[in-house]
Amino acid sequence: MAVDMSMPVLVVDDYKTMIRIITNLLKQLGFENIEDAADGKEAFAKMQNNNYGLVISDWNMEPMTGYELLREVRADDKLKATPFIMVTAESKTENVIAAKKAGVNNYIVKPFNAATLKGKITAVLGEF
Amino acid sequence: MVAAPTEVADKVKGAITSLKESNVRDRPLVEVLELSHQLADAMKFFFGSLDQTIQGEFKYIADFISKAKDEISDLCPNEISGERIPGASLELDAVVKDTEEATETIMTEAETLMCAEIDDPAAYKEQVDAAMMRMIEACSFQDLTGQRVNKVVTTLRHIEERVSAFSEALGVQDNAREETAEEKRDREQLLNGPAIDGPEVAQDDIDALFGDAGDDVNQDDIDALFD
Repeated sequence: MAVDMSMPVLVVDDYKTMIRIITNLLKQLGFENIEDAADGKEAFAKMQNNNYGLVISDWNMEPMTGYELLREVRADDKLKATPFIMVTAESKTENVIAAKKAGVNNYIVKPFNAATLKGKITAVLGEF
Repeated sequence: MVAAPTEVADKVKGAITSLKESNVRDRPLVEVLELSHQLADAMKFFFGSLDQTIQGEFKYIADFISKAKDEISDLCPNEISGERIPGASLELDAVVKDTEEATETIMTEAETLMCAEIDDPAAYKEQVDAAMMRMIEACSFQDLTGQRVNKVVTTLRHIEERVSAFSEALGVQDNAREETAEEKRDREQLLNGPAIDGPEVAQDDIDALFGDAGDDVNQDDIDALFD
């Protein structure tokens, strides 16, 4: 099934520059409807009112981390099926395993490039 | 004022001597007086040595305090808290500001080019050349931030050397301390931050873990990450 490029995508990061980088890369890949949030709490609130087709989240944020957001999302009946990619500088084995166990769909370590982002989105959503 | 123990012993001894000199004939009393005399001598010796021990202890404590005071002065705590740390903090603020400004410039130039009209190749080339030049100029921040970071590193080394010397001179041992709320959160949320010299687990190893069709992490996947 083809990926709907008009579906809303939520980018969550506390660094505006990183939001800008990911947003630009997503636009280059053809995604048209990109929103952002500065931390897990803001993201979770936005997710209550929008049906996002993909969430791309950083890990280390205040007051709610991306890891907490992931667990909240997976525990929420309405949101638990939302594809979730973690993009983070947290590269310890314990982080990757914890995220995988919490139900993350894919994991990208920073710094990353456009090809890596595209590859992981394809792995999660299918070819586009 | 309370008399010193050795002074008391001297008084007791004096009293016994004067009793002995008063021509006491009663034999048992003479023996008691002799024993009392010896006891007073022993008391004087005991309290005398005790005085010297206490005096020695006080001298040791006074020397230690004096040495600690000298070491604290050598530490230059006022200079560290009043000049070096605020200076380092300002340098780091400037690093953040410089990198933000450079990133903003480069990103804006790139975004502008991505949206540029390419109908007129000559005008487009001129626009690209100008944008590239501004991006190159913006990269000059790296030289400045490098110098600023070096200053901060120098300050940290200075503090490290002073604190180490202070700790060594006074024979300080680290006490066990309670975890702060911030440290607890970092531990619970697995917040380790970026690793030195690149990611601890390579993207390829992570990809191998996520290549599995199953949702659960199996032991082989975990083992692969530790290889």
